[in-house]
Amino acid sequence: MELNNQRLSEREFEQERRQVLQSWPTGKEVDFSEGVKFQHALPDSKRFSSVLRQADQSGKTLLQPRAGVALLHEQIALLQHLESSCDLLPTTIDAYTRLNRYDEAGSGITKSLQAGSSLLNGFPAVNHGPKGCRQVVNALNKPVQVRHGTPDARLLSEITLAAGYTSYEGGGISYNIPYAKRVRLESSIRHWQYCDRLVGKYEEEGIRINREPFGPLSGTLVPPFVSHCIMLIEGLLALEQGVKCITLGYGQGGNLIQDVAAIKSLRELGDEVFQAAGFNDYELSTVFHQWMGGFPQEESKAYSVICWGATAAAIAGATKIIVKTPHEACGVPTKEANTHGLEATRQTINMVHEQHFPTTEAMEREVEIIKREVRAVLDQVLNLGRGDIALGTVRAFAAGALDIPFAPADCNAGVLMPVRDNDGAIRLLDPGSVPLPDDVLTFHRDKIAERARQEKREASFHMVVDDVNAVSRSTLIGRPQRRNTVSPIHGL
Amino acid sequence: MQQSTSEPTVILGVIGADCHAVGNKIIMSVLSQLSFQVINLGVMVSQDEFIDAAIEHNAEAILVSSIYGHGEIDCAGLRERCMERGLAEIILYVGGNLVIGKRPFAEVQRLFAGMGYDRVFQPGIDLHDVAKLLRMDIHQRRQPQWNQWLVAGHREHGVLDMAARA
Repeated sequence: MELNNQRLSEREFEQERRQVLQSWPTGKEVDFSEGVKFQHALPDSKRFSSVLRQADQSGKTLLQPRAGVALLHEQIALLQHLESSCDLLPTTIDAYTRLNRYDEAGSGITKSLQAGSSLLNGFPAVNHGPKGCRQVVNALNKPVQVRHGTPDARLLSEITLAAGYTSYEGGGISYNIPYAKRVRLESSIRHWQYCDRLVGKYEEEGIRINREPFGPLSGTLVPPFVSHCIMLIEGLLALEQGVKCITLGYGQGGNLIQDVAAIKSLRELGDEVFQAAGFNDYELSTVFHQWMGGFPQEESKAYSVICWGATAAAIAGATKIIVKTPHEACGVPTKEANTHGLEATRQTINMVHEQHFPTTEAMEREVEIIKREVRAVLDQVLNLGRGDIALGTVRAFAAGALDIPFAPADCNAGVLMPVRDNDGAIRLLDPGSVPLPDDVLTFHRDKIAERARQEKREASFHMVVDDVNAVSRSTLIGRPQRRNTVSPIHGL
Repeated sequence: MQQSTSEPTVILGVIGADCHAVGNKIIMSVLSQLSFQVINLGVMVSQDEFIDAAIEHNAEAILVSSIYGHGEIDCAGLRERCMERGLAEIILYVGGNLVIGKRPFAEVQRLFAGMGYDRVFQPGIDLHDVAKLLRMDIHQRRQPQWNQWLVAGHREHGVLDMAARA
């Protein structure tokens, strides 16, 4: 299988499709033309692309939670509970389904029935099949998206889109490197070309499905240019397969100037890169993820983290915000906690979104640096692929030119090491083999040196660990502690 | 399993279908600095992979992490599987966000102690405390049998509470 960035042929797609739909019993229930008919009949208020377009035009930031449980009726009850507090609904998929372990997901359903509560961390949509997923869509009045972390999401996409889901999160890089250990990048990119082609087929039938590459990646000190590169590559791969509605994502870093600059540069780079590749007929929006790293245990402190994210998203003018909950530090939240996160976010956004923040020199400089970093890396990716972005991506990861910090995948170099500067912005302690301009690298070094001087210690992995722990310990920057042991960490 | 070296070998990994890599990398880094030989299996490790590694490296403890909520399903049966494969005495630690939803930690601790884990940790634990407990437990396991009986009561009642408070 030679990977390249070309639209899958009708023959190739249909041949593969027969295998995909045979891979689990519920796949045989997928009826594409019935799905198209159902999607056509959906009102605009239940269609992701329509709601995003309206928000984008009116400068609104839409709220979306995460939510998924094992059993169908509980999933419906959960989403109905959240519906009045948010604008867009999710269905978060469980971790077994994400790895195509449908047998284990099935036993998770059985054990959840026995236990009387969900023992899975999400909704096993493949096991519930097109009929079950259709019941979810029918029970709600707002658009629903599939949110997951699945390297091979072909069957899941067939089932959920035919059921009436109108948005699909993920991508061949963003759902491999942070979510898998030994999945070859060639395979996950190729499998996501299938998902994008399926969305393209719906588009050809007049159904616009929204696609959203997963911005936060490992959720831990990811420099904006790193995730922007992945977003733009996955955007290009999706456009090639016929996708027309793309939401590019970014996970909050915590420094307000860097976060606002990240959303601004993400949108501008999206248009720049997509149009340079010859695409003009697409809709672009952005999504800002509230803090994806470790949270404080105390709910009062967690609300503060949530509202700081809401503030940044509102100032940045992101089209959508993904909302955390006060239970984040302990894992899967109750529906009440989920609602509370949404309400806190709504209050903050309502208070901030109409205020106008004039751009500053520092902000403009931050935007410019991110853009120069992204352009340098994407140039190298294209060079490595001799003009082919798919091939170039695989080679760039092998060469460490693309490198995502704290990711579990074997095919990721993991040499690039981020750390915060003295203002809390995320900089590069070690760029690894990522090809950045010399003056940009000097800028990173100077910024980190400033912090090291302030803290009277060398910048090292110790400082990085302090940063990883900082937010759950009530600060943004991991300043040295006056104690003789290392700091507690989020999660053992 | 008896080892004379002062650097005990321990197996580290995130169990099941869990891909949370950050804490794993940090535990690896801290325990290595504290002179443990850490065999890090990374994320998404099956029960048998833990045991295979423990046998291969003659390890004295298996440190299991679970962050994503499926811990209750994934961690059950590991002690029995260890016994089947001749590792009845190996030290088993487990830590993380072990269950779905917010449940009192004492309840979670009882649940996993019942599964045969020697110690159960919640997020936010100081890794230096974990290392101290681990060194102590390994030291005790290396003692002759009669000595172990003497300290068993102490371990059950005293130090387990310390882990819970940290």
